Amino acid sequence: MIWLILFLSPVIFSLPTVIAWTYRRNLSISSVVGLLISLAVTIYLYRMPEGFYTIPWLPSLGIEFRFVLDYLSKNMGVLTALIAFLIGIYSLEYMREDYRIGWYWFFFNLFTASMLLVVYSDNLLGLLIGWEGLGLASWALIGHWFRDDDELSYVGVLGRKVGPLKMFWSPSFAGWRAISTIRIGDMPMFLGIALIFALAGNLNVSQIDWNAVFTKIGLIGTTFLMISILMGPFTKSAQLPFSEWLMTAMTGPTTVSALLHSATMVAAGAYLFMRLSWYIQPWNYHELEPVYVFVLFLGLFSSLYGAIVALGCRERKVLLASSTLSSLGIMFAVTSLSYWVGKIAIVIAFIYLIVHAFAKATLFLVAGHLIHATHNRFCCGNLELTKRMKLAFLATVLSTLCLSGIPPFTAYWVKSGMDAILHEVSHHLGQTPMIIFVLIALTYSAFLAKFLSLNFLKGERAKLHLHGERLMPTSYTIMVLTLLPLAYVLYLKFFREGLETSSILVGILVTLTYVVGIVKPTHESKIGQALGDRLYLMALNDLIVPKVGWFFALLSYYFDRAVDLFTHSSIPEMFEELSKAVRRIQSGVLTRYVRIVIGIVFAIILIAGWFEWRF
Amino acid sequence: MIELFIPVIALILAPIFRVRGHWITFVAYVATSAIVFFRIVSGEVYYLKIAKLPDPIGYIYLFGDSVSHIFGFTIALVSALVALYSHPYMSHRFEEMGLSSKEFGRYWVLYNSYTYSMLLLVYSGNLLLLYTFLEISLVTSFLLIHYYGYGNRRWVSMLYFVWTHVAGVLALLGFILIGFENNTLLIPLLKSIPTLAWLLVFLGMIVKLPGLGFHIWLPYAHAEAPTPVSALLSPLTVGLAGYILLRLYEIDPSFILSHRTAIFIYGFLTSFVAGLLVFRQKDLKRLLAYSTVSQMGYILMAICLGTYGVFGVIVQYVSHAFGKAILFMSAGSIIAVYGLRNLDDMGGLHEQIPQIANASLIGFMNLSGVLTVGLLGEFFILRGVLEVFGLGRMAILVVLVFILSGLYSFYTMKNVFYGKPKGYEVKRVPKCLTVPLFVIGVLSIALLFYADPIVKAMMGVVR
Repeated sequence: MIWLILFLSPVIFSLPTVIAWTYRRNLSISSVVGLLISLAVTIYLYRMPEGFYTIPWLPSLGIEFRFVLDYLSKNMGVLTALIAFLIGIYSLEYMREDYRIGWYWFFFNLFTASMLLVVYSDNLLGLLIGWEGLGLASWALIGHWFRDDDELSYVGVLGRKVGPLKMFWSPSFAGWRAISTIRIGDMPMFLGIALIFALAGNLNVSQIDWNAVFTKIGLIGTTFLMISILMGPFTKSAQLPFSEWLMTAMTGPTTVSALLHSATMVAAGAYLFMRLSWYIQPWNYHELEPVYVFVLFLGLFSSLYGAIVALGCRERKVLLASSTLSSLGIMFAVTSLSYWVGKIAIVIAFIYLIVHAFAKATLFLVAGHLIHATHNRFCCGNLELTKRMKLAFLATVLSTLCLSGIPPFTAYWVKSGMDAILHEVSHHLGQTPMIIFVLIALTYSAFLAKFLSLNFLKGERAKLHLHGERLMPTSYTIMVLTLLPLAYVLYLKFFREGLETSSILVGILVTLTYVVGIVKPTHESKIGQALGDRLYLMALNDLIVPKVGWFFALLSYYFDRAVDLFTHSSIPEMFEELSKAVRRIQSGVLTRYVRIVIGIVFAIILIAGWFEWRF
Repeated sequence: MIELFIPVIALILAPIFRVRGHWITFVAYVATSAIVFFRIVSGEVYYLKIAKLPDPIGYIYLFGDSVSHIFGFTIALVSALVALYSHPYMSHRFEEMGLSSKEFGRYWVLYNSYTYSMLLLVYSGNLLLLYTFLEISLVTSFLLIHYYGYGNRRWVSMLYFVWTHVAGVLALLGFILIGFENNTLLIPLLKSIPTLAWLLVFLGMIVKLPGLGFHIWLPYAHAEAPTPVSALLSPLTVGLAGYILLRLYEIDPSFILSHRTAIFIYGFLTSFVAGLLVFRQKDLKRLLAYSTVSQMGYILMAICLGTYGVFGVIVQYVSHAFGKAILFMSAGSIIAVYGLRNLDDMGGLHEQIPQIANASLIGFMNLSGVLTVGLLGEFFILRGVLEVFGLGRMAILVVLVFILSGLYSFYTMKNVFYGKPKGYEVKRVPKCLTVPLFVIGVLSIALLFYADPIVKAMMGVVR
């Protein structure tokens, strides 16, 4: 029962908005109430003992809705519901003037409900329902402004082209791109789930006998299984080369970006990987080594890609999007370290996820407020703006400090933990991961500083249109303030690692790049332009894959035409000719008929003679 | 048992009431589908003898088991809602053709005999009876296209008739051979099916299903039929070929088993090529017709995949029927309200007709198996392919097809409903053009969470 309330209350409470928003626009509050109920339930669940709860679904196949309460799901559930609720409050003001409020709230709440389903679900098929719900809701929200008529809702500079590539994306296109990319990952994941069901006869992550599964299919099978399941998280969390949809997802309302990038959707991918690793316990299985090495390097490279691309971005939200990509890469990489160091790696990655969620949601909400105030997607704003939007400035400072890993703020302690385990695995994997990781950390703090500097300190002058917003600043202030107690908790947890010399050294370097970023936020160069264009990775999505697809579609089309012509023109014509030929015989001339009859008789005699007629 | 005779009332009364006939048809079929749903839950099996004919025909009788019930439920439900939808749509169509509303008398006769013959087809216990209903449904749908179709309707209806008649004759030949082999045509008494008979029936069914190469009649027929008829043809009729294959498979799977790989690959090609062709269509109804071909490829693939494959066939039939009924009806609504068929004239239609856009979304969710009962269909097919072919290339082919159907679904959504609005004026859409769509949509979502009766019923059949 409690579970039904948890998942259904956001959806049901959004229905009044869906039905009657055209008459009563203040109905949005009911949707937020739905989110609040979910939040209350997650807090209640947080205080419940760990364990499993089931709701029957397909008993004849042994599949049920089974929910798990453990360290991961309890924390993640509260995090999701809290962030969704705060963003919901923010949206009340942000979306007030929108032309599609019903759609917005329905999918916003569906998004939250799906994420909660993913978080608590222990059964993979149940999880898949939430997973597809996430994909659908993200599609709906990214393409929310479907009219494509507002410059503010595009990504990229309108009308700009590089070679054959159009460098701007409309909301409806971005939505289609998101769902098509996700689809490419979801179906292999579905295959993986079916495979687990075939091998283990069970879909409950905590109950599957992974040992039996892995020994049954051997090394290659295991690699295939894990990669096909992880295709889901890879596409959802936009790891290379599936990163493009995340960047163009910025066409959605900023609140959506905030939700998408903090606690739902993209975090779902990393979360699923953590949950699987938590129960598979990869440190027990040699078969998993190739997979985990692959994920480690994929994560690190995606992260590095995200970080350097963010350096070149000029759009507020796209910059933040690629920083999310960078963080997700770190989560994947650190989680994959669990193969060597055990559960602690998952815990660290998970804590990083929490820190990132709060900080990133804050940054997005601030960015949304800035876009609202300046009517400009690109970074702009100087001290004058800072004076008038003090809370936004303070929130940005705090969240960038906390996220970039400057001692003694929140992320510093987590990153020290990461340093420590990377150090531990260096005799398995060498120093490369460590070096890449430090590079990422340095770039990361540099572009966060750039974001701060270009929007509040050294950016171009911007015209302000403030409307006396109240709810928006309140919600991001609350959100950023949660980071401070978190810093203390993490200090208690990681203070030993945090006081190591190497960690302190990295911390100092990070602070240095942060300062550099503040002092000199821009630098014009060709490389910077290429970075800002995301290293032209969109050629894969916009050029190569569609070209191949259209080529095959063209082949199919020719085939189709050929069959059409053959069956609907050639065959009827053939019959027509035949009929004409037959009719030509009937000319009414008697001698002709006689000749035909004689001819047939002779033919029969000949044939009979050929077969030695013996009668 | 009673449920099989309720539609008779509609068959008789609806033509008398003419314009208001849709209510009677609707109520009759809703009652039928509700009762059939209870039969699914209770798992009841029954027989009704009608007549005894000399061997090798045997008893003519009706026979209901879980498979019949699941198919029957789908047919009755879709027929009910399409009947409701027919009223505003056909009024519009008659007006367009310059006919008076008296024409409804003929329409309801044809409509009801068409749907009723499909319903009885899945309850036929004798192959001859089954063939009879197959032909009745063919003739009535042919007449519906002939009288009320679009475009070159006489040519298209003739084309439809010839193609499906070829299918029917091939099937009949196969049935006769089966009858001589077993000295009966009673489905439960059949023991074996000679290879030649299997081949004939199979060929007939892939014309009707249709398979790649034989699919060519379908886009014409489904696109040019009046939309309520498209909304029956595409979801219900073509899938019945899958039903017939399924029945024969239950009796004697030898043919399918020995040509498993070939049929599977053929199904894949059907699905894949038709899926690619969807991207090239400019006419919305034709586009949906190609996606039907693609979805029927699933059925061809699934029938090769053992027990789980059989589940896949059944669930796929249901989910495709629901999805495609919604989609054809929404395409029809666009025609009725704005007279638009060409994709180039569409784009941004969500602005004017958000209800229809949202309904189509649920329809496409059904096709791509997102959050609807289609999810289970995909699950069974994937499970089946792993069971039969193991981990390898075949499994990847299935994944490829599933990806493709998701892609074309949302691609079409984007092209039709999103993007810059074209500036058509906002018009009022009659309730009957939208409400049936949502009813089916909500049911298809609810069935995902309440799928156990169906799964249990299918398990019962296999044991």
